[in-house]
Amino acid sequence: MILDFIRNKIVEVEPLADGNVTVYWRLRDSLQSVEITLKFQPPDLVITEAKADVKPLLHGQSASAQALIQKVEGVRVGPGLRKIVSGLLSGSEGCELLTRAVLESSNAVILHFTRYTLQPGDDIEGDAKIAAARANLKFNPRMIGNCVVYGPGSPVMQGVEQ
Amino acid sequence: MARAAPSCRAWSSEEELMITLSRSQLVGAELMDGGLVRFNGVQEDHIYGMEIQMDVNIPTGEVVAIKGWMKRYTNPICPRAVEILQNAVGMSLRGADWERKVMREIGRKGCEHFAEIVIECGRCLDQARLAKDLEEALKVEPSLDQHQFVAKWVRDHPEMREDCRVS
Repeated sequence: MILDFIRNKIVEVEPLADGNVTVYWRLRDSLQSVEITLKFQPPDLVITEAKADVKPLLHGQSASAQALIQKVEGVRVGPGLRKIVSGLLSGSEGCELLTRAVLESSNAVILHFTRYTLQPGDDIEGDAKIAAARANLKFNPRMIGNCVVYGPGSPVMQGVEQ
Repeated sequence: MARAAPSCRAWSSEEELMITLSRSQLVGAELMDGGLVRFNGVQEDHIYGMEIQMDVNIPTGEVVAIKGWMKRYTNPICPRAVEILQNAVGMSLRGADWERKVMREIGRKGCEHFAEIVIECGRCLDQARLAKDLEEALKVEPSLDQHQFVAKWVRDHPEMREDCRVS
């Protein structure tokens, strides 16, 4: 069957030679095109530069995407990020899409670092994998209850105090 | 390998370096008979790969059927999340806090990446209807003012969420 609508979204992380990390986030669908670029500065992952380009067929203009996105410059990826970004970018004259874009870009930076911590355990299987997940809880206790792996009834949780 | 540069790329003087993490989400929507829309959603990144097919009642936003495939994951327990996807049946992708409910019931009890796909599909619910109506209107009147059509459609369909007011 022919599709009536299609949305394509991509987020890419590109570490720069100076140690900073750039994230490109793009959404294109049948009705709109939105792009943002953020630069993060380790180790605190502070957003040091932000750019946006919004081409909506959906809505009229009432504010500048570029002026709006620059409000997140200085924001650090950490506790309360969702509330902070939402407070800066959402609201009646804001842009929920840009809020999501910043949060998803921040998540991508975390995944970029997570990828390298997962790689050493990529070849192990079965019980060893479950034991590795259990050991991971010592460093990341907040994972408990976060997904089926760390949920009730999972072998990973056997013997783990909750 | 060369990539098409986004127009808002901020620091063009710097060299193109290797992409270390890439995530793609693809949502396709088919409007079907009986007031249903069928979503096909895919998410692929360096770490995870999964896909869903989900039928949604358009007026209510209620999920009436869902299937999932977990293709790449990090732990042998992860595929248990496929059956937890059935928690979505009966949930509405409309109304206050629906995204949070999906994340709680599908994400935290199952897999947050499945929840992310369900949520992205839900965000496309009314956009898919609008796109279909716009396409039909353009068949009748190719020189139609698309911005005007969209503005009127949004006014006539208050159930549609306004995601963005900027440009």
